[in-house]
Amino acid sequence: MNRRLPLVLLTSAALALTACANDGGSKEPAATSTADNAGKTVTLWLAGGDTPDELRTYLTDTFKAKTGATLKIEEQAWPDLVTKLTTALPDAANTPDVTELGNTQSPTFTNVGAFLDISDMYDELGGSKLLNSFVEAGSVDGKKYALPYYFGSRYMFYRKDVWKKAGIEVPTTLEQFNSDVEKIATDNPDQIKNFSGFFIGGQDWRNGISWVFANGGDLAKKQDGKWVSTLSDANTLKGLQQLQQIQRSASKAPADAKDQSPWLYINDSDTILDDAGKAAGKTSLAAATIMAPGWAHWSIGDLTKKDGKEVRTWDDAKFGVFTLPGTDGKPAPVFAGGSNIAISAKSKNPALAKELMKIIFSPEYQQKLGGAGLGPANSDYVSSLGDDAFAKALVESASNSKLTPAAPGWAAVESAQVLEEFFGKIRGTDDLAGLAQQYDAKITPMLNLS
Amino acid sequence: MTSRTTAPSSPATAPVPPVPPVPSATPARRKGRGSRPGGRLPLLLVLPTLVLLVAALGYPVAWQLVTSLRKFGLKQQFGAPPEWVGLDNYVALVTDPALWAVVLRSVVFCLVTAFVTVAVGGGIAVLMNALGRGVRLVLQVSLLLAWAMPVVAAMTVWIWIVDWRRGLLNWLLVHLGVDGAAGHNWLAEPLSFFVVASTIVVWMSVPFVALSIYAGLTQVGTEVVEASMLDGAGGWQRLRYIYAPLVAPVLSIVLLLQLIWDLRVFTQIKLLQDAGSVANETNLLGTYVYQLGTGKGDFGTASAVSVLMLLLTVALSWRYVRSLMAQEN
Amino acid sequence: MRRSRTSRVLLSVLALAVSAVWAFPVYWMLNSAFLPNVVLQSTTPTFLPFGGSFDNFGVVAGDPAFGRALGVSLVVTLTTVVAALAVAFLGALAVSRFRFRGRTSFVLALLLIQMLPAEGLFIAQYKMMSSLGLLNRSLGLAVLYTAAVVPFTIWMLRGFVAGVPADLEEAAMVDGLSRTQAFLRITFPLLAPGLVASGVYAFLQAWNEFTVALVVMTEEQSRTLPLWLRGFVQASASRETDWGQVMAASTLVALPVIVFFLVVQGRMSSGLVGGAVKG
Repeated sequence: MNRRLPLVLLTSAALALTACANDGGSKEPAATSTADNAGKTVTLWLAGGDTPDELRTYLTDTFKAKTGATLKIEEQAWPDLVTKLTTALPDAANTPDVTELGNTQSPTFTNVGAFLDISDMYDELGGSKLLNSFVEAGSVDGKKYALPYYFGSRYMFYRKDVWKKAGIEVPTTLEQFNSDVEKIATDNPDQIKNFSGFFIGGQDWRNGISWVFANGGDLAKKQDGKWVSTLSDANTLKGLQQLQQIQRSASKAPADAKDQSPWLYINDSDTILDDAGKAAGKTSLAAATIMAPGWAHWSIGDLTKKDGKEVRTWDDAKFGVFTLPGTDGKPAPVFAGGSNIAISAKSKNPALAKELMKIIFSPEYQQKLGGAGLGPANSDYVSSLGDDAFAKALVESASNSKLTPAAPGWAAVESAQVLEEFFGKIRGTDDLAGLAQQYDAKITPMLNLS
Repeated sequence: MTSRTTAPSSPATAPVPPVPPVPSATPARRKGRGSRPGGRLPLLLVLPTLVLLVAALGYPVAWQLVTSLRKFGLKQQFGAPPEWVGLDNYVALVTDPALWAVVLRSVVFCLVTAFVTVAVGGGIAVLMNALGRGVRLVLQVSLLLAWAMPVVAAMTVWIWIVDWRRGLLNWLLVHLGVDGAAGHNWLAEPLSFFVVASTIVVWMSVPFVALSIYAGLTQVGTEVVEASMLDGAGGWQRLRYIYAPLVAPVLSIVLLLQLIWDLRVFTQIKLLQDAGSVANETNLLGTYVYQLGTGKGDFGTASAVSVLMLLLTVALSWRYVRSLMAQEN
Repeated sequence: MRRSRTSRVLLSVLALAVSAVWAFPVYWMLNSAFLPNVVLQSTTPTFLPFGGSFDNFGVVAGDPAFGRALGVSLVVTLTTVVAALAVAFLGALAVSRFRFRGRTSFVLALLLIQMLPAEGLFIAQYKMMSSLGLLNRSLGLAVLYTAAVVPFTIWMLRGFVAGVPADLEEAAMVDGLSRTQAFLRITFPLLAPGLVASGVYAFLQAWNEFTVALVVMTEEQSRTLPLWLRGFVQASASRETDWGQVMAASTLVALPVIVFFLVVQGRMSSGLVGGAVKG
């Protein structure tokens, strides 16, 4: 669909139709004509640098061509996003019209009424093709407020060379994975001090919950209209026990390590020198396996010189990726990363904001997201991610991925870092069930906004 | 005996405009104009300050007081009518042992850090006073560089230094033969976390303290020092009988400021928590307020903690402030 | 001085060791600014930036947002310094030269304000600035900063003002100078070190402040340097944090302060005296 047809200058109604031709469901004309919009500005907040510049330019150009109005994109840093949303969204004079936000932040802001109800556009924007867990995170009582923007996923990066020396193949079930990484740690083929078969930080709950999800457990559930923490449920406990075993015997990560830069541990670091200062042939390495978001592969590889600069270059002979298998051999449900996008309830230009949403959910933009390595919200365009090993692992692991509970108070649980605290104590405890009950009692009151 | 000039320019310092000799005076008990009641003029003079403070802080402080008496969460921030709850927020807080743990931790951290800062800063000031020009300049420039470093950069470097795997500290210890230091995690245990945090805060605060106290020391007239040396006073005696009484006022102000600033320390703790440790076991008042407000969106309780924190600071420093005020009048 | 040669040498060695401790993190920032990220991630520290390059500085200084943020920061900081000094000078004059009713309460209030925890104020600050139409305006931020530094500045300045004998000024007036002339020629030069010291304090506070700026400067156009620096610290879905760039950016942020410091250094270290001594 060519958006730069001269036609767009003639009638805006025709424009709206051509732009949304792929679903054919849009009968309403664009709210205002391009000439009327010339002086108007719509603000879009993007979180972090995840959306590449090329996509930003595409959005501003297309928006201008389609509506005549100006699109202003403001980038907000992830760590400051909640503060800025809290202050700016309720302020009609300064609210962004459209904003991206983390998928786990969505339930909280959706529940307090920060966003515009866009149920009427849901089908037009992709409907059931949109990633369902994300849509749920942005819905209240069946009404849609925040829709998925892009998804990421976590999969395993491993050292082919080390796994081979230990005589182990890529596992096909979760139980196999658990025992494999333990064996690698015990065998420690290269005799490296503090070597982890699988490196997982004690407080790294975002990776750790994969074991909970894979065993059919969850962090919380809705019961009689109220959210309850379910850490001590039987299935959750089963997953936590497996995680405890891994933390104790396969991982040498500190109990307070979070999920920051795990790729550092799978790279060969420095050549170890012998007493005479000569290279002793060994390199220091900390882990045979890590779990990380897909983009970590840019930071994994051999240390090489490129244009005089030292960089990491992926080496297929040494490094590999696979999806964490579930108990049944299918991909395990891992934590889905990514973000949602929504229109502020206080936006002064809801009609234009909706036009922007249409551009974002258009096939062109969805494919551009895929091209940039970001999982497109609409499942029809997932193929745009490409077909290399990373894209495959991303799609495969995302196929069964899960979100944190859509409880209104979830943001409070995350910011109070209770889960970090709980997961950090798993390795050391002799009474896992008791610990889980203790934290259930802490978390349940936080889940429901009063 | 004090010549209250604005310091005889010390030889080590860069160009200072010639300071005209000022006759000795005892300004604290100034006669004449200095103590006249002044009619309307003084009020006009403080007016800009009052207007500015009321304009910039009046509303926020009032909002905080009011909010501490309300149930005010994210819902209310997004337009739901807030409900008056009287002192409920306060009652919930003071009956929660978690708050007292945070308060205790904050007070201990604040006292230790402030006293260490002033002791180290004072030591460096005395050292500077005893040094030759060249070395003193090196020391002063080092302190100023540390003072000018952006907090984010300073914290990043410090976090690198204590990193469990790549940190310089462990690297150094291992090279000194402490094998157990390899992979030791300094942020995991609350105690060593606070030792690290305190070290960093001391490092950041010492330049201000050292330079202030040093400036106080340079005010001691050279005549006095020389006279005392003629009388046979040794280094220690000079410090004890000549410098100490003169520097005491600087020390007390600097200590008070450090106590106030260290009780509300926030950025350093927050960034260290992000790097490791269990947040709920290492919270101080600053991070606690942040976690309740920004994090949980419970602004009512966060405001109540802020108010309690203010009361706590006043209570802790009350006697001290009163004695300062007494000197004042 | 009678101090023996050995003890002098020992003291100098001690002083150099102390200097090294305080300068080391600064050196480490500079060193890292020249190194690529992969080298920074190594388990063996690189003590000298051999093989390093100015690449990080190139990337960071080439960011168009840098010039903009530098401009905003300079405007906000200089406005704060000038306004704080002017307001605080008058306040200090009142406190140190006059005994008026409410004087003690005024001084106490200045102290109390320093004790206010700032982490809980941001929503109210945002609401206030928004309703006044001062969001994203350098003026608005400068007002908030000025209010934040004025209490301490008055504490500092009042000692200096008290240190200038009123008799001097009066004597000059007897000699035929007008009050303004007397003030400019006699009093002002004597206050200079105090003003410089307070100015440096205000400069540093405004230059490095992060939280308030984050809340009231919502648009990219109006971001200050600390907010700009933040952009380099965060990782994103497509890249990890490049710490070499963070350090290069930090160096650029620190540079104006360091230059400013070194220029006024002499005045400052004597200037810190008077204010504090008067208590």
